[in-house]
Amino acid sequence: MSKEKVVLVACGTAIATSTVVAKAIEEACKEAGIPVRTRQCKAAEVPTLAKEADLIVTTTPVAQDLGVPVIQGLAFLTGIGKDQVLQQIIEELKKD
Amino acid sequence: MSFLDFLQGVQDFLNALGSFVLLPIFIFIFAIALGTKLGRAFRSAVVIGVAFVGINLVIGLMWNSLTDVSQAMVNNLGIQRDIVDVGWPSAAAIAFGSSVGLWVIPIALAVNIVMLVLRLTKTLNVDVWNFWHFAFIGSLIVSATGKLELGLVAAAIMAALMLFFADWTAPAVQDFYNLPGISIPHGTSSAYVPLAIPLNWVIDQIPGLRDLDADPEAIQKTFGPTFGDPMILGLIIGLILGILGFFPDIAESGFTQFLADVLKLGVNLAAVMVLLPRMVQILMEGLIPISESAREFMQKRASGREVYIGLDSAILIGHPSVISASLILVPISILLSVILPGNRVILFADLAVIPFVVAIFAPITRGNVVRIVIIGTVAMAVGFFFANSLAPLMTESAVAANFDIPEGAAMIVSIADGFLPTPWVFTTLVASLQWIGLIILIALLAVVLFFYLRNPEGWERAAGAPGGSAAGGEAPAPAGGTD
Repeated sequence: MSKEKVVLVACGTAIATSTVVAKAIEEACKEAGIPVRTRQCKAAEVPTLAKEADLIVTTTPVAQDLGVPVIQGLAFLTGIGKDQVLQQIIEELKKD
Repeated sequence: MSFLDFLQGVQDFLNALGSFVLLPIFIFIFAIALGTKLGRAFRSAVVIGVAFVGINLVIGLMWNSLTDVSQAMVNNLGIQRDIVDVGWPSAAAIAFGSSVGLWVIPIALAVNIVMLVLRLTKTLNVDVWNFWHFAFIGSLIVSATGKLELGLVAAAIMAALMLFFADWTAPAVQDFYNLPGISIPHGTSSAYVPLAIPLNWVIDQIPGLRDLDADPEAIQKTFGPTFGDPMILGLIIGLILGILGFFPDIAESGFTQFLADVLKLGVNLAAVMVLLPRMVQILMEGLIPISESAREFMQKRASGREVYIGLDSAILIGHPSVISASLILVPISILLSVILPGNRVILFADLAVIPFVVAIFAPITRGNVVRIVIIGTVAMAVGFFFANSLAPLMTESAVAANFDIPEGAAMIVSIADGFLPTPWVFTTLVASLQWIGLIILIALLAVVLFFYLRNPEGWERAAGAPGGSAAGGEAPAPAGGTD
């Protein structure tokens, strides 16, 4: 059993759109058998919380070069290209 | 027992159930109708019921704490601040829990389909969560008139109005935020666009001022730790209000009692700031299945057309200009609440949503922080007028939606959407003129839409879209009548 991965999900308020993204990631990872914990935050909190995360998924602009991979999560809201983004997230989480 | 008695019995039973049970039942039925799987629909319906119970608990805590201190301030200092800002989470719950809220999802979807078919909009609004803005206006109108049908039509008009705003601002938003194919049909973010465009033009004419800008990063470093953290902000507001309200009683109550009261208020209000959003997350989680089904349902019907996908303005809030301008606007708004004559509103829970009010100012001002702050200050100052005026109706709507209200409670309001011109214009027109008010609103929308569709590029450039001459120049006057 591999170690639980932490996904930081960022949006404007840490309430609305990030909940949609976090739930979708949790469901997909459960199906793929990857133990994962999501944590929702506001965009402004990303730089501080990035250290504790294995991956950042965001629906709003966040600072780059955080030392953690960042994936754009807008597809979860528009529904367009959602499967590809989920695939990208799962592959990222399967590393190491 | 006659048939009429039977119907009356059904009606009484539904009334007895209240919104915490009715909304989950309605959501379940709509979700199934839109093609959600049975188990998923059932679970999400229960989650929504749970969220309502949670929100009710937190609103109760907030309402009790703030009512006590606002009464103390009135009694001891003669400061009349007896309207409490309970925040958009409360407003959204009241809106969805209202009689209009039960029907708002099918109404808004139908309006969107009709407008797409008639080519009156390019936006496919998949942001089901934010349909609460439409229900909010509808529920205020039901409180004002007692007529459900007026509220339902008003909600439909508001849904159409937001599609217009989404189309109008889309090219600017897409360019500035780099979001191809997205538009923002969001009640809180659209409302002050017709104010921001002329104000930005005015700033352009003032030498000196027009060249000012500020560095977003420095602002975030200075203001971020206090004004950017709702929990700390809640604590500070609680301590300050507590000192103001309870200090004059200190001779009577004694110092230890005073200290205990102040600290308790601080911790309680910090708790509200943390807990209220958590409760709304649960509500959001419950709405995900129906929101997904609605999106698929709509996208199937719009396939082959070039449409914008309408999303929550939460996706814009991460921009540094928006974050830093909003941080500065927090203390400015609190100051306004103290100095504006006739104001009775205590700002509290919605200090965190100022970014939503100013998000679409950013493309208009090309991300200039100073300009966003200036326009935001004017918007908030005007907003206090609307808020003081709308508070009685919003309080009544909360009662109608079965939220528990303490004895002798303060009135409530919220920045989203109580500080906005849209609900005020809608309720003022419809409360006095009833159906004629609604017809006037439809006529205004039709006129604005007519002029926009004749010259969309001109309008869109005025809202900050690239191309042509500088924004503002030859743009048509933004119709003040839209909201």
